[in-house]
Amino acid sequence: MGMYGVPQGVSNPPDPVPSGELEDKGFGGQAPGTMVLVMVFLLAFVVYYFVNWKLLSFLWRIG
Amino acid sequence: MNAAFRTCPTTGLKVHAQADALIKANAVVATVALLVGGISAMLVLLTRWQAVHLLNDAWFYRMLTIHGMNMLIFFILFFEMAVLYFASAVILNSRVATPRLAWTAFGLMVAGALLVEWTMFTGRADVLFTSYVPLKAHPVFYLGIILFAVGAIFVVSIFFGTLVVAKRERTYTGSVPLVTFGAATAAIIAVITLGHGAAIYIPTFLWSLDLMHVDPQVYRLVWWGLGHSSQQINVAAMVSIWYLLGALTIGSVVLNEKVSRGAFALYVLFISMASAHHLLVDPGFGSTWKVWNTSYAMYLAVLASMIHGFTVPAGLEVGQRLRGYTKGLFEWLKRAPWSDPGFSSLVLSVIIFGLVGGITGVTFGTEQINIIAHNTLRIPGHFHATVVGGTALAFMGVTYYVIPLIFRKQVAFWPLAKLQPYLFALGMLIFSMAMTFAGSFGVPRRHYDITFAGAPFDVQFDPSVDLVLGIMGVGGLIAGVGGAIYILVTVWSVFLGRPMPEEA
Repeated sequence: MGMYGVPQGVSNPPDPVPSGELEDKGFGGQAPGTMVLVMVFLLAFVVYYFVNWKLLSFLWRIG
Repeated sequence: MNAAFRTCPTTGLKVHAQADALIKANAVVATVALLVGGISAMLVLLTRWQAVHLLNDAWFYRMLTIHGMNMLIFFILFFEMAVLYFASAVILNSRVATPRLAWTAFGLMVAGALLVEWTMFTGRADVLFTSYVPLKAHPVFYLGIILFAVGAIFVVSIFFGTLVVAKRERTYTGSVPLVTFGAATAAIIAVITLGHGAAIYIPTFLWSLDLMHVDPQVYRLVWWGLGHSSQQINVAAMVSIWYLLGALTIGSVVLNEKVSRGAFALYVLFISMASAHHLLVDPGFGSTWKVWNTSYAMYLAVLASMIHGFTVPAGLEVGQRLRGYTKGLFEWLKRAPWSDPGFSSLVLSVIIFGLVGGITGVTFGTEQINIIAHNTLRIPGHFHATVVGGTALAFMGVTYYVIPLIFRKQVAFWPLAKLQPYLFALGMLIFSMAMTFAGSFGVPRRHYDITFAGAPFDVQFDPSVDLVLGIMGVGGLIAGVGGAIYILVTVWSVFLGRPMPEEA
């Protein structure tokens, strides 16, 4: 339960991770939600980068 | 002997009294600088908002200089000094290596900052943050910066000294925690940065006294070794705070220590070379030099940010999943403590820094694309997303933990404090994106009047620019309200706030 004026991490600190849980865990499959978010970021990056080259091609016409 | 410790009832850490006092002093001065920088920001904003156009030309450039110095140097660096004391003495349960020197350094930094403020407010240094030669300020302006930098280098040295003390006195076992490692990265970059600062500001100080000549191109080259690298101290400190906030708020885990530490090492190795992207349109440097530094070296520093941009949220996700939030892709995110301002600041800081600031910044690092963005509002649109939406927001988030853990006070105006990160992030997002759009229409940065009233030539912008600048103004005002709430909450909590329950 939260306490007025005190962040949750101080008033109610997170439970410790059970020992041994972190062993044998790698990246693959461990954070699927983050993988989706990272792909959204990558897509935005590609689109923005492409748009900038397109803008440049409007300003500097060749030929 | 100054080895007076208290034990934090929440974390169990032994907090050295001198570290406690130094963190408080630096945090308070940082907040004062934030206040000065914030007020000047509002005045600059209401002038760049062409429909309002508040200040006259002299005061516009004066306020822009004051805004840049207070936000990018004084607020950020005083806060980082507090971070360095926290990441060394507090996290490692150690005493501060040399408290007297630490207070001398603090005094030097405050004295230097006050000298710079005096020259700026009295119109003796209307040279903007970059103070490009041949724009000449009063010699005291450069002297103030040198004093401030000397103080900062003392603090960095004390940080390294405290690491040695902690190791010798065996106050911790194993490797230093990742947060301390990240802070060490920030400290190493600070050494590089302050070295560049000395290399350029000492000659410029002598130049201001008419004792020597400084070449403008050399100035720009060396100055950006300071100007850009100083912002990379922020990045390393901010990423350290991301890891810290993740652990404090929901008990996130570090997926892989070696990967995260390797990414911090990439910052040290390559971030200074990224300074070259500020010089991509300078005619005095060859394309090979520009392309090597930006399209090769800079991308390795970008890679580091992308690694952290993955490991921080992935650490949150794995931490939540280990505690039972395993349904679907995003239960871990839905069930996160969104009303904890430390957590919301962390997430919003990662999003704004990476998705807005990161993408735009990397794009500018391409030589060909840089030519269409350089000196337009796209540039401040980018760095307000990184430094303000990213770094400042992360610093704000950790403040909500510093208040109870270090100042031993409850956070005042708690409902407002919970709202503050959202308001600030929303404002900065609107502001940065509107700036970016305006810049895409060619609106110049650092420009008093884009109608060019009274100029012998006529420059017309697309009519939509007025609308975009209006949106920028609204976004800036929302962010300003968020910043004002932060200052109100922190100042009230520290000086008038209620003590933590166990100490009441």
